[in-house]
Amino acid sequence: MAENDVSFDFITYEKKPFTPAFRRFSRFSLFFEDLVKVPLFRCQHCGECLLSHTAYICSQRCPKRLRNGPCGGTGQGGSCEVYPERKCVWNRIFRRSRFLGRLIFLKDIEKAHNWNLEKTSAWLNVFSGRIEAPTFFAGKKGKKS
Amino acid sequence: MTLKEKIANGKFVVCGELGPPQSSNGGLIRKKVEYFRGLADGVNITDNQTAIVRMSSIAAAKIILDEGLEPIIQVTCRDRNRLAIQGDLLGAAALGIENVLCLTGDHQRFGDQPEAKGVFDLDSVQLIATARVMTEGYLLSGHKMKESPRFFIGGAANPFAEPFDMRILRLAKKIAAGAQFIQTQPVFDLEIFHRWMEAIRVQGLHERVAIIAGIMPVKSVKALLHMQAEVPGVRIDRQYIDRLQTAPDPQEEGIKIAVEIIKELKTITGLKGVHLMPVMWESIFPRIVEEAGLASQGPKETSS
Repeated sequence: MAENDVSFDFITYEKKPFTPAFRRFSRFSLFFEDLVKVPLFRCQHCGECLLSHTAYICSQRCPKRLRNGPCGGTGQGGSCEVYPERKCVWNRIFRRSRFLGRLIFLKDIEKAHNWNLEKTSAWLNVFSGRIEAPTFFAGKKGKKS
Repeated sequence: MTLKEKIANGKFVVCGELGPPQSSNGGLIRKKVEYFRGLADGVNITDNQTAIVRMSSIAAAKIILDEGLEPIIQVTCRDRNRLAIQGDLLGAAALGIENVLCLTGDHQRFGDQPEAKGVFDLDSVQLIATARVMTEGYLLSGHKMKESPRFFIGGAANPFAEPFDMRILRLAKKIAAGAQFIQTQPVFDLEIFHRWMEAIRVQGLHERVAIIAGIMPVKSVKALLHMQAEVPGVRIDRQYIDRLQTAPDPQEEGIKIAVEIIKELKTITGLKGVHLMPVMWESIFPRIVEEAGLASQGPKETSS
């Protein structure tokens, strides 16, 4: 069963060092990435983009920066516990995922965030094999599991 | 018998909750422990509850362990990063503490020092997976330990917060990550709780994890209204508020409500125990356990 491998999978990080040249290129790439991701998704530059798993709502807007679903404090009507005037971002993710038929992605356990990738270009990280490529279609994923 | 063995043997377990003091007064813990002696199968030690600085949960747990009771330490992700958490877990294991409840933690904004930096390096699902990786003999770095700790890993669940369907999904995630028991937020709305348990039974999750329902006895209607307004993710059935409002002695009524809820919970299939959290009112613990008929084995038999 795939679920049993979770804990072991948890500790295998890609340990690729960053060269100064890569960092410089990453900054360059980040500029273009920001032009798209900041206005569209209010990207928080975690460098380990989860957008394709969270129905294209940036989960890192959560004040606790949770990557695995909402904390227990979502208020009635789906408000955020920390800033009650805001909507819980995970509540929105859940609703949109259900609407788009992408709930399957929310069932995966996301690894602990690699803070080394903070403020680097997620696109470049995908191409250099540091993070997993996004899965755009839920159908493919459904067949795999 | 440890908590793990009791659950495996099918006992309906009772857990208590003890908040460490906001001082270095260890005697206070020893005094509070007496309320739980012989009745509680596990005593939860909160970890800087509601982001207010208190004695370290591991230190307090050691005091309780020395008193002969079984502590359940809470570990939150708010105050420590993955290095500190792993170090503390190893330390706890070395002290003989086995039960670990992994929580995300309240945001520091609710505490007495809102200007503090929240860490949230891991989240609760990842913390559970971390604890499980450690029981399998590895640290997160991939380092193989010479001696691995033994943990009985727990997680929390809130059946009363939106989005309800996501709660089940997240619970399944926690179980997949390695949670062996689940403690819920206080039950004040039995209808929603029944629905939640039904959804769990449909997926068969209750067979893979021990679900322990939270109970919070309240002293007055003010406390209940405060919970509804201030504590996020709590849902309270209107009838309990009305009953406390009209009762001549709200304290007695509060106890009655708690006992009533426990008695109803005992009939639910798939529920493995209750977790009593009388905040700042630990002295009421023995009475509620007795009245709810949970002390069937008798305090004398289990006490050391």
